[in-house]
Amino acid sequence: MQTTAVYDSLHPLEINLLAAFSQSADKPVSDSSLQELSQLEPSQVSMALGWLQAKQLVSIHSEIVTAWVGLTEVGHRYVADGSPPEWIIRTCKQGAGEGRSFTVKELQNLNAFPPTDLSRAFGLLKKEGAIALGAGGRIEPTETPSPTVEKLRALLHELKKNRQELLSFSPEQQTLLRQYAVKRGSAQEPFRVEERIHREYTLTETGKAVAERCHAGAVEEVSQLTSDMLKDGSWRNKRFRKYTITLRPPRVAPGRRHPYREFLDLVKHKLVGMGFQEMRGPLVETEFWNMDALFMPQFHPARAIHDVYFVKTPTHAETIAEPFLSQVAETHETGGATGSSGWGYRYDKERARRLILRSQGTAVSARTLASNPLIPGKYFSMARCFRYDQVDATHATDFFQIEGIVLGEEINFRTLLGLLTIFAKEMAQAQESKFFPAYFPFTEPSVELHVRHPKLGWMELGGAGLFRPEVTQPLGVTVPVIAWGLGLDRMAMVALGIHDIRELFSVDLEKVRTLRGRFA
Amino acid sequence: MPTISFFQKDLEDLLGRTAPPEQLESWLPLVKGELKDVTQATGEIRVELQDSNRPDLWSVEGIARQIRIKLQEAPPAYPFLHTKTKPKRRILVAEGLEQVRPYVAACTATGYTVTEESLAQLIQAQEKLADLYGHKRKTVSIGLYRLPSIHFPVTYGLVKPTEARFTPLGFSEKLTLQEILTVHSKGMEYGSILANQPLLPLLWDTEGQILSFPPIINSQDIGQVHAGDSALLVEVTGTDMRMVLLTLNIFATNLADRGAVIDPIEVQYPYDTGWGKSIRTPCDISTVHKIPLKAIESALGLPIDAELVQQTLRAYGYEVKASRHTLAVRLPHYRSDLMHPVDVAEDVAISRGYDSFVPVMPAQFTVGSLSALEMTSDYIREHMIGQGFQEIFSNILLSHEELVERMRLPADEHVVEVDNVMSQSFSCLRSWIVPSLLRVETASPRAFYPHRLFEIGEVAIPDSSRELGSRTAIRLGIVIAHPHANFSEVHTCLDVLMFYLVKDYELEPLSHGSFLDGRAGTILSQGQPVGLIGELHPEVLEKWGISVPISVVELDVDWLCGDGS
Repeated sequence: MQTTAVYDSLHPLEINLLAAFSQSADKPVSDSSLQELSQLEPSQVSMALGWLQAKQLVSIHSEIVTAWVGLTEVGHRYVADGSPPEWIIRTCKQGAGEGRSFTVKELQNLNAFPPTDLSRAFGLLKKEGAIALGAGGRIEPTETPSPTVEKLRALLHELKKNRQELLSFSPEQQTLLRQYAVKRGSAQEPFRVEERIHREYTLTETGKAVAERCHAGAVEEVSQLTSDMLKDGSWRNKRFRKYTITLRPPRVAPGRRHPYREFLDLVKHKLVGMGFQEMRGPLVETEFWNMDALFMPQFHPARAIHDVYFVKTPTHAETIAEPFLSQVAETHETGGATGSSGWGYRYDKERARRLILRSQGTAVSARTLASNPLIPGKYFSMARCFRYDQVDATHATDFFQIEGIVLGEEINFRTLLGLLTIFAKEMAQAQESKFFPAYFPFTEPSVELHVRHPKLGWMELGGAGLFRPEVTQPLGVTVPVIAWGLGLDRMAMVALGIHDIRELFSVDLEKVRTLRGRFA
Repeated sequence: MPTISFFQKDLEDLLGRTAPPEQLESWLPLVKGELKDVTQATGEIRVELQDSNRPDLWSVEGIARQIRIKLQEAPPAYPFLHTKTKPKRRILVAEGLEQVRPYVAACTATGYTVTEESLAQLIQAQEKLADLYGHKRKTVSIGLYRLPSIHFPVTYGLVKPTEARFTPLGFSEKLTLQEILTVHSKGMEYGSILANQPLLPLLWDTEGQILSFPPIINSQDIGQVHAGDSALLVEVTGTDMRMVLLTLNIFATNLADRGAVIDPIEVQYPYDTGWGKSIRTPCDISTVHKIPLKAIESALGLPIDAELVQQTLRAYGYEVKASRHTLAVRLPHYRSDLMHPVDVAEDVAISRGYDSFVPVMPAQFTVGSLSALEMTSDYIREHMIGQGFQEIFSNILLSHEELVERMRLPADEHVVEVDNVMSQSFSCLRSWIVPSLLRVETASPRAFYPHRLFEIGEVAIPDSSRELGSRTAIRLGIVIAHPHANFSEVHTCLDVLMFYLVKDYELEPLSHGSFLDGRAGTILSQGQPVGLIGELHPEVLEKWGISVPISVVELDVDWLCGDGS
């Protein structure tokens, strides 16, 4: 494996340990000194050593087994209270002073030590002549001391503070220690002999190279660059841990435009770029501005209760501005001064004041016509409209209509087609467009614009026409006027990958956060 | 507008040539028609007709006629309009009908044997005309009868609802008119047209046989045409004389196009109709219009050659006499939609074909711009997005419950309400934005928190000082929802927004049903209230089914747009 690749794969613990090796100048190091040098926990050292050995960066240099001896709990009790032989002699001497003597059985009944320990003590004392058995099995202490008991006491005292290497004792002592050490089957012994494996480790050749690299790079590996490191320059001695960058990052919800509104923003800016000025109008409208001013007769089928939302209170506007009301009324009835025959019915001025929720964006255009518009002038609106429709995948409770007008002496059927050609290119990136005769109550001639969208194929993009003189003249406009409307929602829905118009106004935040699409 | 269906074979018979769907589609612009679908197996074709002022096109006969005229470049002759002989048959109109359903027109059609297919087409045309053009039979309705059973003259008169009895279509026993209105399906459907009439219209012949009870139902015996019949009576009644005459003209022409001989009937009124008291129907109702050539030229943006435009219009069915500067035009008898020279201009364009016009780019310079309100809104939107908020875009019809009850506002709080409610969920225009954002909160407890939402949009504020009884305002609504959402967090948002809008403001403690007491304020600018801020009342959250705390701001954008500082 390449040094660099190995280096890059190192865990911080491994790097720390390699640094510790470097400090010992290539000499074999024990795990305890590694622990000291690296300031790591013993478990971390052994874990990292395991990894480094597996990567063949570190090998075992030597392995020395040493035996150590120390006191057990039992041993410490012997130090404090005496060993079983000592206890036997002490007890018997005390009894003799009081004129009493004990049998083995009687001593056992005092329950000072387990019977097996006492039996072994009797055997030892008797063998070494420290006690004799009198008549009736009574124990009689002699004046002869037991050498073994003396030696054990010395060893107990020597080991009561620290454990010691077994080899530091004389062979005779070693034999004694092993004799009185914990072994399988005899847990109640004063000594314990433990074997310790002392290993020393050294770097392999690759290990040296990698350690050198660690040294040459940053000595310490960190995950986070801190202000302190920058202030004191210590970042120079750090190695910044490399991340696993292929994992997915945590999710956040950014501040963001609503995707449908983003689409409408684009449309809005395109229209401004084409020289259109924005116009606005009220949500609550009169039938007058919504329909009458557009020369839709009051008996028009689309004006029935099942197409428009009527306002509950107040039901009627107070007034309709003059001279528009009278001029529109006259135009409906007789054509007035427009050169039209009119609809030939009795116009109801009361009905004109009926309040409704705006049902078409053209209402905004009508109001603009009546407000001294610029000539030449181009206007657009993005008007929220309402229709009395059952809500479903193609009908929202309310929706936007993108509509507008173009006023000027140059306006005629051909400039209308010219404008629509620009719309086809700008709004749908379409190089091909077709015009079909259409019908709108307020325009004549009327056109339906079909375009070949680069992705969607042939589609209807909008409707337009020249406002009838019966619309413009009663509102005080004498130049020809184009009225146009664009149906862009389908393009927005395709770009956003949705099939239900209600989702343009979704209340599901997760949906809103994840809806996306490129419109441009 | 209407969608009609017919068979390709029938269309081809009427055209006198083949008309596969793709060929038909190329002709449909002539009738403002859109091919909806074609059933290959049966040859059934469905076409939607757009022009509500051209009821003559709402039938296969009408569509075929307009195409045929274009192909032949001249309108056909209809001799029944010009026959000089006095009609053999008469309809006598009785006094009093001028108050009920004043007009009737009728003719006979003989010499053509009705087929299953042509009968279906007759009935379809009858239904479309009466329903859409005749406002659901209110202004116009049509009856078809078997001519041989009828003994003229026929009387169009008035009778008491219980006086006359006959067997209506679909029944086997006789009913009085009163009974028809209450038990017959058509009586129930159309009876309102005759509501509050003490006397009802009725057609009967000289032998006392009842033909029909217009506009409700025909007689079972005389008023049911069958395939194989070859002599018909067509009758139209209504409230508008021009529409009645036009409807009869359309029907007569359709039958004539199928080969029937049309014989006019003389209708005698006791009152004036605007067309005299004695009228022979069908009749030519169109008049000559003098149209300056310039009007057509300026509408179409082309120099117009008088000869050429004469041909173009004749190829669309017009009768035209062109002089140097003027056209004298007359619509065919089955049309009545010429109100203004622009109507003729459109027919010129349609007859020529829209694709034959070379588009001209509008060249006059105009300055594009957004309204101050839109620019201010966009500025705030950008700012709120910078503060990490998700923009919301809502439908703005809400329920009264959402706007008022759930917000703990007084029950009499006035909002703009819809009168003809379709669904309670969409019965009011929102009066503030916050309820729209709470709709999102209610629907989105599983979207990870925090929720930082805003919307800028229109609201309707009831305002009796306004002409419309309300005003449309632009508002900013902010909602912060997460387990630790509080006043302070939303206050910071407001404060930062105001700083960058260069607006001074102060808060005044507010007691308001929607908010926790002591944690709500009115946003004041120069002493004027311009908005609200606060922590929503737990009961509000409960009513919305929301289980995280929410703090909100509602701010008037119209004010921000102004120069108040």
